Amino acid sequence: MRGRGLVIGVTVVLVGLAAGAAYVTRDTSPPLENAPTMKVSEALGGASGAEGYTRALEPREFHFPEDHGPHPGFHTEWWYWTGNLTTADGHEFGYQFTLFRSALAPGEAERASAWGTRHIYMGHLALSDITGGRFHATERFSREAMDLAGARNGPFRVWLEDWSAEAIGDGVLPLRLTARSGNVSLSLELEAGKPPVLQGDRGLSQKGPQKGNASYYYSLTRMPTRGQVTVDGRAYEVTGRSWMDREWGTSALGQELVGWDWFALQLSDGGELMYYQLRRHDGTADAFSAGTLVPSEGAPVHLSRQDIRLEVADTWTSPHSGVAYPARWKLSVPSRGLTLDITPALADQELPVSVRYWEGAVRFSGTHAGQPVQGRGYVELTGYGDTPVRGR
Amino acid sequence: MKQRLLIRSSLRHLGSHPWLTALSLLGIALGVAVVVSIDLANASAMRAFERSTDTVAGRATHQLVGGPSGLPESVYRDLRLQPGAPVSAPVVEGHVRARSGDQRILTVLGVDPFAEAPFRSFVPRGGGRVDMGAFLTEPGAALMTGRTARALNVKAGDPLQVAMEGVVKPLRVVALLQSGDENRAQAMEGLVLTDISTAQEVLGQVGRLSRIDLKLPDGEAGEARLASLRPLLPEGVEVIRPHTRGNAVEQMTRAFRTNLTALSLLALVVGTFLIYNTMTFSVVQRREQLGRLRAVGITRRELFALVLGEAAVLGMVGTVAGLLLGVVLGRGLMELVTRTLNDLYLVVSVRSLSLESFTLVKGVLLGLGATLAAAMLPAWEAARSAPAVTLRRSMLEDVSRNRAPRLALLGLVILALGVGLLSLPTPELLPAYAGLFSVLLGASLLVPWLTAKLAGLAAGPLGRPFGLLGRMAARGVTSNLSRTAVALAALMVAVATTVGVGLMVTSFRGTVADWLESSLEADVYVSPPALVTRRGGATFAPGLAEQVRATPGVASSSTLRTVQVRVDGVPTDVRAVDFGATPVRPYRFKEGDPARVWKELEAPDAVLVSEPLAFHRRLGVGGTVELATDQGPRRFRVVGVYFDYGSDTGTVLMLRSTYLLHFQDARVSGVALYAEPGQDVDALVARVRERAGTGQALGIQSNRALRQLSLEVFDRTFTITHVLRLLAVGVAFIGVLSALMALQLERARELAVLRATGLTPRQLWGLVSLQTGLLGLLAGLFSLPLGVALAYVLVHVINQRSFGWTLQLLVSGDVLTQAMVLALAAAALAGLYPSWKMSRANPALALREE
Repeated sequence: MRGRGLVIGVTVVLVGLAAGAAYVTRDTSPPLENAPTMKVSEALGGASGAEGYTRALEPREFHFPEDHGPHPGFHTEWWYWTGNLTTADGHEFGYQFTLFRSALAPGEAERASAWGTRHIYMGHLALSDITGGRFHATERFSREAMDLAGARNGPFRVWLEDWSAEAIGDGVLPLRLTARSGNVSLSLELEAGKPPVLQGDRGLSQKGPQKGNASYYYSLTRMPTRGQVTVDGRAYEVTGRSWMDREWGTSALGQELVGWDWFALQLSDGGELMYYQLRRHDGTADAFSAGTLVPSEGAPVHLSRQDIRLEVADTWTSPHSGVAYPARWKLSVPSRGLTLDITPALADQELPVSVRYWEGAVRFSGTHAGQPVQGRGYVELTGYGDTPVRGR
Repeated sequence: MKQRLLIRSSLRHLGSHPWLTALSLLGIALGVAVVVSIDLANASAMRAFERSTDTVAGRATHQLVGGPSGLPESVYRDLRLQPGAPVSAPVVEGHVRARSGDQRILTVLGVDPFAEAPFRSFVPRGGGRVDMGAFLTEPGAALMTGRTARALNVKAGDPLQVAMEGVVKPLRVVALLQSGDENRAQAMEGLVLTDISTAQEVLGQVGRLSRIDLKLPDGEAGEARLASLRPLLPEGVEVIRPHTRGNAVEQMTRAFRTNLTALSLLALVVGTFLIYNTMTFSVVQRREQLGRLRAVGITRRELFALVLGEAAVLGMVGTVAGLLLGVVLGRGLMELVTRTLNDLYLVVSVRSLSLESFTLVKGVLLGLGATLAAAMLPAWEAARSAPAVTLRRSMLEDVSRNRAPRLALLGLVILALGVGLLSLPTPELLPAYAGLFSVLLGASLLVPWLTAKLAGLAAGPLGRPFGLLGRMAARGVTSNLSRTAVALAALMVAVATTVGVGLMVTSFRGTVADWLESSLEADVYVSPPALVTRRGGATFAPGLAEQVRATPGVASSSTLRTVQVRVDGVPTDVRAVDFGATPVRPYRFKEGDPARVWKELEAPDAVLVSEPLAFHRRLGVGGTVELATDQGPRRFRVVGVYFDYGSDTGTVLMLRSTYLLHFQDARVSGVALYAEPGQDVDALVARVRERAGTGQALGIQSNRALRQLSLEVFDRTFTITHVLRLLAVGVAFIGVLSALMALQLERARELAVLRATGLTPRQLWGLVSLQTGLLGLLAGLFSLPLGVALAYVLVHVINQRSFGWTLQLLVSGDVLTQAMVLALAAAALAGLYPSWKMSRANPALALREE
């Protein structure tokens, strides 16, 4: 009978201890909350407001070479190079090299730490090995601090870590582009070619009906280029032509827009055509879409939405993202007798970066004022993926 | 059928002595609990540290590190701007104390979000967004997990004040981080993630980086990459593997943890004696029953299994209880271990017990193993039972008494072996512990013989005041030697353990107090609050140290800079002293001539090392150490070895002029002020406090107050030792109680005979009390020399090999008195229940019982 007391006692003690052990090891943590994430690309998401920034309100006078350099008062600014290159034995390449500056807050940081900054840089490097049928693309970010990234004049230099565009001489042009990432590298010398072309109204490129929803925008449309491209340890001596776009402003795309299609075409007759079509949610072209035709001789001609007809003749669906992009166009400027059939030089030129887009080398042929014409160029397609673009 | 018979006989036996069974269960449980809890507490602290190290180290394969103040940030830029730079990320890391919520210590991790992705993923993709703009541009912007924020009593968007070395810095919680799973949530406890700019500003590291994380490919490609990087690195920048930091901490705290484990094992040893005692008792008491079982055809093997089976059941129940109790106890000890680690070694925040299955398995094996081992001998004795109806008890005792001298001889041999092990000239701890346990075992084997001799001697003196009863009590001890000796040995070991540990702590404290007396000679000490109490290292705000030194009433002053430098590759505290105009040199030397050392130390490559460092690194005068200076690794000559009880890992001491030659760091971590003659010290303290202002919370203490504080820290770091000692005392107490109680209960029949022959209940009570009291006295007496011997081993062998300190053994009367009181009290208590029971029992019934 006493045995029973012992068993009961021991059981009670064990149960008590087990409860105590469970108590001290209990999980005191609350359920895991759905907290926010940190993605550096989101820092580029756009101005939280235009307040405190300089704005593109009306046409201004451009001064070169100074305007090649940075305009830190504006929210966003970029240096954009694209080009088609060929080796002596006909190996064809396309390249895109872009450096974006974006302000996180207006004004300059006053910090004890040299890392404190309000500007960050994003860089995209893409190489289309057209003959080889491969496409390479990289993205990188850094802050404008510690010399890790930045832009300056005299001598001109804009850089993001070891990616840079810098003047070879005292001015800006000719300039050298140097970029390397993984198995791909680029070292090109670009000459001015033609003088800068001011886009839009004397360089003020209006992107929407509101005043200030605009940027300053100019291009160097035909830059003789030579240098070296390296892919997988193999170096190619190349020559060709580049296109430089410079744009800065403090505005975001209007809510009604989802993205744009941008064309930069170098015609065999010595002219160039730039056209950007702003796309509305329903897929139609926005009234503020615009372009410029640069004849081989004479003044550039501003083109508005009504001057241009653009039809998509084919689409391509990315195997990486499942996103369908236009992949062939019929572009015409009836008033100028220009009709072009544009096809990508390589189907897969989708950049798998934080904001996915397609940008690639294209080939075209057609007629200009009755004469057959053909050429090469670059096309950028944004806002086709799930993420609407609020930037450029 | 046979089986059931055996099992029923076992159960009846265990059940008929519920209190004894319960006590032996408690003994096993306590022994196991102490071992398990210490193991859990240690493991939890180490796991927490590992987790937080892993979190901040991320997936880096290598790290670039610099001198004590980190490395210049330009190193990162130069690396990053190299064509084809390696994957790298800058890190600024440090600790601050929160000024809200639970005021915990926070790890500030400053990162460059643009370089982070390859190393640390603080946030999984998906979900909301952190305002990166605010994170990067807002000074003080910080991220933390929701759990940390709750502990600090802040929400997203709230301001948060933290103190960096006593200077308040404002932060703002811009958003809460997603922690992912529970493991990560724990690892990120107390972590404050900021942009590198904020971290530099808050931690006062503008222009510096704590390290640069690198990610290099495995194998030869990585080695080649590393080789190509090295020429780019300025002097003073080294490449290390991230786990070296964890290893260093593991190394640094090993001695501390090993000693805790060893102390916990002592509790288990005492517990094992208890089990042995219980099992022996049950066998001896059932000798007639066992004989009968043999007579009805139960084999020896079956009897052996019976006793072992009983032990296994007891062991199992006791071990399970011990594991559970260990978990509960471990939670409490974890706090103590953490506090001690934080006082002595490093900043670690342990918030939860990690239940390592290894620890639990170890607990089960130890508990069951110890029980079965202890039951082996009694089981063997049971199996030897002759199939006769009775084996006379007196015969058994004769055997026991005859065996006593032989056992004593064996004990002497084992003692000698233990002494031999202890005097082996090796720095290893294992032989020392083996020696220690041999001494305990050897001494226990001497007990039967000594008891027989001493009890015989006691019969005379006891007979005088107590007459026949006194003589009977003394003879009872001898005539029941098989039982009393075991109980005595258990009691002796238990009490001796508490004596040994108690004396060790007292000796330690005495030595430290002496040392503080001689090394604290200035009148006022000023220093910013340090995160690891005993290490210091926090620095004065710029200009503040000079201001303090120039306080009116100060005759002269000296300064100290404590930094962590890799000495021969191991992070070590280095102290740079500037004695100013003071002639006082408050150091005592173990090696080196005090008259010449200070002159020799003026050489730009001369250092002093503390005794523990000299011990751990086998250094002496004439040896050299390599310090990772800001100009790269440099060799320094050791010109003296000084006594220092401040750090068990050891320190290197150099003159400030030497330090400034090799390190770009003009900061000061401590100032000692010598008052002008006649200057009232308390007034000086007040004046210094006024001059220092409120910008930085400085610790300003008079000599007396600092000494007091230092001893308080000392006592705090020994709290865990005290707790362990108390637990050992608890086990000892229970052991004595159950052993003596068992002894008396077993004599029920003998006492009943005495009652029947006319002994009054009062006389009976007197007899029992006298006998248990005599046993208690003997145990107390035995334990004193053994305890002092144990203390000697702990102080001069174990402590010396663990920490490298020379301590003076102080035999404190208090500790010895406590031991005697413990033994006598337990003995007195143990006599109460049996005599109460016997005095109430009907003698006739008692006689009939068997």
